[in-house]
Amino acid sequence: MASWIEQSVSRGILTSRYPKAAATDDETPPTGRPPVPESPATSLPAARDRCPVGAITETAVDQGKCIRCARCVGAGLSFSGSVEAATRSRSDLLRISAGPTPVPDGAPPLAGLGRSLHLFLVDVGSCNACNLEVLALANPYYDLQRLGIFFTNSPRHADVLVVVGVPTAEMVEPLRRAYDALPAPKAVVAVGACPISGGVFAGTEGLASALDGLVPVDVYVPGCPPTPTAILDGLLKLNGRDRETREGRR
Amino acid sequence: MRRPGWRVEPAAAPRADRASRALAYAPEDGAFSLVNDYSEGMSVLAPGGPDPAFDTPWAVWRTAAGAARPHALAPAPEVEGYGVFTFPYGPLSMGVPEAGRFDVRTYGERVLNLVPVGGFKSRRVRAAVVGQTVVDAALRVERLAGNFSAAHVAAFLDAVESAEGRAVPTEEWWVRGLAQELQRIYNHVHVIARVAEAASQNVGLAQTHALAEEVLRTQGAVFGHRWLFGALLPGGPARRLDPTDRRALATRLGRLGDEFERLWRLFLESRTFVDRIQGTCPVARDAAVEWGAVGPTLRASGVAWDDRLRIPVAPYTDLFLPLPHESGGDALARVATRAEEVRASFLVLEQMLERWPAAGAGDEPPGSAVAPGRGLGRVEAPSGDLVYDVRVAAGRVVGLDLRSPSQANWPLFAAGMRDAVFTDFHFAFESFGFAFAETDG
Repeated sequence: MASWIEQSVSRGILTSRYPKAAATDDETPPTGRPPVPESPATSLPAARDRCPVGAITETAVDQGKCIRCARCVGAGLSFSGSVEAATRSRSDLLRISAGPTPVPDGAPPLAGLGRSLHLFLVDVGSCNACNLEVLALANPYYDLQRLGIFFTNSPRHADVLVVVGVPTAEMVEPLRRAYDALPAPKAVVAVGACPISGGVFAGTEGLASALDGLVPVDVYVPGCPPTPTAILDGLLKLNGRDRETREGRR
Repeated sequence: MRRPGWRVEPAAAPRADRASRALAYAPEDGAFSLVNDYSEGMSVLAPGGPDPAFDTPWAVWRTAAGAARPHALAPAPEVEGYGVFTFPYGPLSMGVPEAGRFDVRTYGERVLNLVPVGGFKSRRVRAAVVGQTVVDAALRVERLAGNFSAAHVAAFLDAVESAEGRAVPTEEWWVRGLAQELQRIYNHVHVIARVAEAASQNVGLAQTHALAEEVLRTQGAVFGHRWLFGALLPGGPARRLDPTDRRALATRLGRLGDEFERLWRLFLESRTFVDRIQGTCPVARDAAVEWGAVGPTLRASGVAWDDRLRIPVAPYTDLFLPLPHESGGDALARVATRAEEVRASFLVLEQMLERWPAAGAGDEPPGSAVAPGRGLGRVEAPSGDLVYDVRVAAGRVVGLDLRSPSQANWPLFAAGMRDAVFTDFHFAFESFGFAFAETDG
């Protein structure tokens, strides 16, 4: 008993300063950031054919499709976008530039959600990496409870469904039932390329549509998988707390 | 020619000391069985499929391979009686943070029978990779089970290279070994954290969870990705470690290794932790051999088999690798085996970083093909022996089948849970290190 206390004290405080300070490099490896073109007019056409998931068009990078495989890096794109890339609409995922992606003025915090959120994780067909990144939010480095965010064991006690994975035909019904079980006001956060667009499995026979064809999605968090910091950004954008923390940043 | 890792026999004759059914599985064309002969420390490849006499586990794997609709992952005897009902747990629950279901036959507290049900998260990876180039297929393979990505890609590439008869630079093998050992440490530490969570060891959980995060950050620092996606792609951005990188990584790993030693000692001193997992979900040696258990589950039941030693490839041919095993067969033995393997992996990494091969160190010959254009790849994944059977033609994948460690171990979890109580579930489940993702594919 005494030794566990000694152990805890000797390690000190590990918790990230995020969101009061910007995410550090240790929290964010290169692939934790969205790839953005150095000069869109020339880089995008040059890199388009390298993309294995068709995320790059002549005019934009669809971060909802991007799996951060790095094939476009070196062809005019670099992982230099902001970690804070979560958006409130699907189309905004095509407009990510180097700075943090602000919630547009037309999308206020979701009505009725307070400062505290309760989350229920829904896996609709993931590889496990997103599940583990979401769960990593509970470790001492991210400690999501300090921000008033908690995991719950039942959708009946939750405000937010955190959905990971590419929806399989088998998981459509469990997903709908979990969504229906949430008390209003309710919200859905799509974590990772899979629920947003199908990611690397888009177009495989036997898979259902993207998540927003099944339930309404309120926040999109791009990445494959998104880092815990990126997921946290998405959660804070739900109730508008990202603004207050970012404005308080020095 | 590299040692193939198996001996070909006309048929895998059943013998008591063989896990005769262990690796038998049916790809779409040309069934064969791959059998571990524990008395000789050698695998036997028998073309033509397994002996029909062993047909129960065979049927289990046959269904599991690629089936999408929910299906049982282990057989279970019928249980009836007064007040007995089926309690379905899953597919959505926070206790098991993955989509999968457990049908528990019970009259209340006692588990009379438990059937794991998979197939909910089948992303049809096997179908998705057919027709893809090897490098594009690898993007899907590493996303088959994100927390085991290095092992899956390594086994896949080994199979492809054997099929194509292609030699690979020694340094690339070492990069694969490095990635796999880092990921083994992450997964074992994660399992210990999950068991600590089930045992309400909250300080232990927080400290172990923090250590797991530090391993992920180390992976991110070395390979640019926290889950090693893209780290081992063929001809891709495989990382070159210069001496400065190696020294920095060795220092970082030294710190993590010391931290793990402190935590594991505290866990062993914690009576509530040890008491709770001792005797939980036992797997007897005979059952482990009969059902073909793999990995820490097999080793915790007293069988010292590890693909890294039995089918050695670079870098393991040149390193000292301890082979931890226990005899208890319970959750404690599985957790203790994993803890010892974390130590072993730190030791292997230390040796690797000291003896890293020069960039021009030559090539490793490929393994032998099973048939023209068809190769087997086997690696010791964190949860055990992982087998890939890949058919390639003109640089594209024509067919893919795999037998994951999770698939092999489900029946033993189901058997171990019989006559347990509900509260044993999480200790038992977590100690195996299952992933529905790799079972469903």
